[in-house]
Amino acid sequence: MQKKMAYSFPDEVLEQVFSFIQSDKDRNAVSLVCKSWDEIERWCRRKVFIGNCYAVSPRMVIRRFPEVRSIKLKGKPHFADFNLVPDGWGGYVLPWIAEMAGAYPWLEEIRLKRMVVTDESLELIAKSFKNFKVLVLFSCEGFSTDGLAAIAASCKNLRELDLRESEVDDLSGHWLAHFPETCTSLVSLNISCLRSDEVSFSALERLVGRCPNLRSLRLNRAVTLDKIANILRRAPQLVDFGTGYYAAELQPDVFSNLAGAFSSCKELKSLSGFWDVVPAYLPALYSICPRLTSLNLSYATIQSPDLIKLVSHCPRLQRLLVLDYVEDSGLEELASSCKDLQELRVFPSDPFGAEPNVSLTEQGLVAVSLGCPKLRSVLYFCRRMSNAALVTIAQNRPNLTRFRLCIIEPKTPDYLTLEPLDVGFGAIVEHCKDLRRLSLSGLLTDHVFEYIGTYGKKLEMLSVAFAGDSDLGLHHVLSGCESLRKLEIRDCPFGDKALLANAAKLETMRSLWMSSCAVSFGACKLLGQKMPKLNVEVIDETEPPDSRPESCPVDKLYIYRSVAGPRFDMPPFVWTMDEAVRILH
Amino acid sequence: MCMELQLGLALPGSDTWSRPLLKLGLYEDINVNRKKRGFDHGYLEDEFSAASFKNYEKGLVGWPPVETWRRKKLRCQVHNHMTAAENGYCGGRASNSSYVKVKMEGVVIARKIDISIHQSFETLTTTIMTMFDIFSHFPFIFGSVEENRRSFKLTYQDKEGDWLIAEDVPWRTFVRSLKCLKLIRSRG
Repeated sequence: MQKKMAYSFPDEVLEQVFSFIQSDKDRNAVSLVCKSWDEIERWCRRKVFIGNCYAVSPRMVIRRFPEVRSIKLKGKPHFADFNLVPDGWGGYVLPWIAEMAGAYPWLEEIRLKRMVVTDESLELIAKSFKNFKVLVLFSCEGFSTDGLAAIAASCKNLRELDLRESEVDDLSGHWLAHFPETCTSLVSLNISCLRSDEVSFSALERLVGRCPNLRSLRLNRAVTLDKIANILRRAPQLVDFGTGYYAAELQPDVFSNLAGAFSSCKELKSLSGFWDVVPAYLPALYSICPRLTSLNLSYATIQSPDLIKLVSHCPRLQRLLVLDYVEDSGLEELASSCKDLQELRVFPSDPFGAEPNVSLTEQGLVAVSLGCPKLRSVLYFCRRMSNAALVTIAQNRPNLTRFRLCIIEPKTPDYLTLEPLDVGFGAIVEHCKDLRRLSLSGLLTDHVFEYIGTYGKKLEMLSVAFAGDSDLGLHHVLSGCESLRKLEIRDCPFGDKALLANAAKLETMRSLWMSSCAVSFGACKLLGQKMPKLNVEVIDETEPPDSRPESCPVDKLYIYRSVAGPRFDMPPFVWTMDEAVRILH
Repeated sequence: MCMELQLGLALPGSDTWSRPLLKLGLYEDINVNRKKRGFDHGYLEDEFSAASFKNYEKGLVGWPPVETWRRKKLRCQVHNHMTAAENGYCGGRASNSSYVKVKMEGVVIARKIDISIHQSFETLTTTIMTMFDIFSHFPFIFGSVEENRRSFKLTYQDKEGDWLIAEDVPWRTFVRSLKCLKLIRSRG
């Protein structure tokens, strides 16, 4: 007995030790050691990340972790970004706020992604959490500037308000004036998504001027070029800046004012915004370019020569987002100038055009893979690709962790050999042993999935479209990819067999999305019946799935593991396959 | 089993149009050898790849996978660029109306089309043809979609009131001087 006591620490000591453990995975591991560690750990866990808001209920979270200060929630599946998830599907945050309002009065941080947030939710946040500091609404919707006004007015210690990529009902720009004069705590403000032409500029200027710790400021398009200089002069300590409108008639005094304002920002490392760029104003940035590590020009419709000039001034660039106006020539310049580049995203300027409007091909990506030894993350839209290019990229850059390639026309073969791109993507998964995220495109057979299942052992997220020949493809992925958490598939001939044979795998993943595939309604019901820990949702906007024969394929299928059981906030076009073979609606 | 081969030449937005590939019988576990295809497969797959993927913006939901907000922002810009080019420089907010009237020969009711979201005559013509239901009213038994598209001509009335053939002038000129559009059948 005494021997055992000598080996155990008092709770306070353990708590102190645990406070150094920040990562969720490690915290989860700690709680599995023994009952007493679990008990201690849960009382001192301050941060919770819930990757799927329907995987667990608010009450369950509160019961287990009573002293949370920071919560991060994700709602809709990723394909919602591309209009594949109908409006009204779900992802409402109000139930969470309502429960937390009572249970976590000291909550400081709420970070949401792809959730429906209402003004009511925002008002409840403003009212309930006296020490509220951080609100991040990433790709959210359902709220207006009225809700923002409530937050601004009530949250006395607000540090971060980040509305990136959210859809906000812009009722008035005057919400900014609701920040009291006593509010000086802002560190980060991102209002780039706001449409309102009348962002109360004077309120914004005053707010920026009285927050000495402001590090990150992203403006919206309403802020014109001449006003940018004023803002910058009030916040020379900025590290991250998103411009508004970057266009105006070229006037020497406006230019020199702007250039001066930029050069006074000695800490500025990251730039974004750049809507409607007049290239003649880009040299105003040259003084800060040598320090820039992140540049988002993905809205800047400027041509390759101007892009090349700008990029060649930024030798420390680590992250570049750009439109395909950059062209192969621009990427070649990037490869020779920016040896620190880690992340590249090239977006299409004319995604629906029939013919290529720019000279951007696989060559640009090959050049960057050769010239940038630290390149880890790629998102690339182009119109042609070859197996040879993919193999070269894979061999050049085995350190890739994220590789997302979108060849714009579905089922495009290798343009040189007219073969499928199986071998090329196979090389990517084979050589890039730490690959965590992969998006496929082009002409692909079941073979590519065989490669992925064999080599993609660290793969966590896979996106598939218009690929494969049969269930074998899906089977390879589900049976081979040990680390798979998220799988999203559209328009592939994958059906019941692979899904049912690998049903147990689905409990080890966060979610599976399949739309326009060949999974039958009968299989969905069976899965729902046999797997109580999975929520099997069938989405169909045209008619109920049981109005057709069971063998008919469902339109959209979303399967996710959950300890909360089926949800009850579904719209009329979503059906949950319950274990009791009731079709809940 | 629902295995019918549906020709799927209906209007966009309807079930058949948005999933042309599935209607080709891909539900079966067939090993489609892409080099040897039956006439049906070859014919239909070509039609769909030509029409729906290349030329038809609304044919495929969510493809290419560009986020909705990004598409919207880019659309605003393209429009501003065009009107700004007319005004001589970039700057200021352009008016929101980029809609022009479109008529079709023999059809009483005119439609309206948002010119700012187009950047080529091909996408514009195909969109207009679909608007007027041409794909379902004129079955393409002979020739490809491309050939049938060429049996129609897009004409426009410019600011001076003259009727001109759209593809005779560069896109930018066309957009700048465009007042209204009319789709007519090609003669000869």
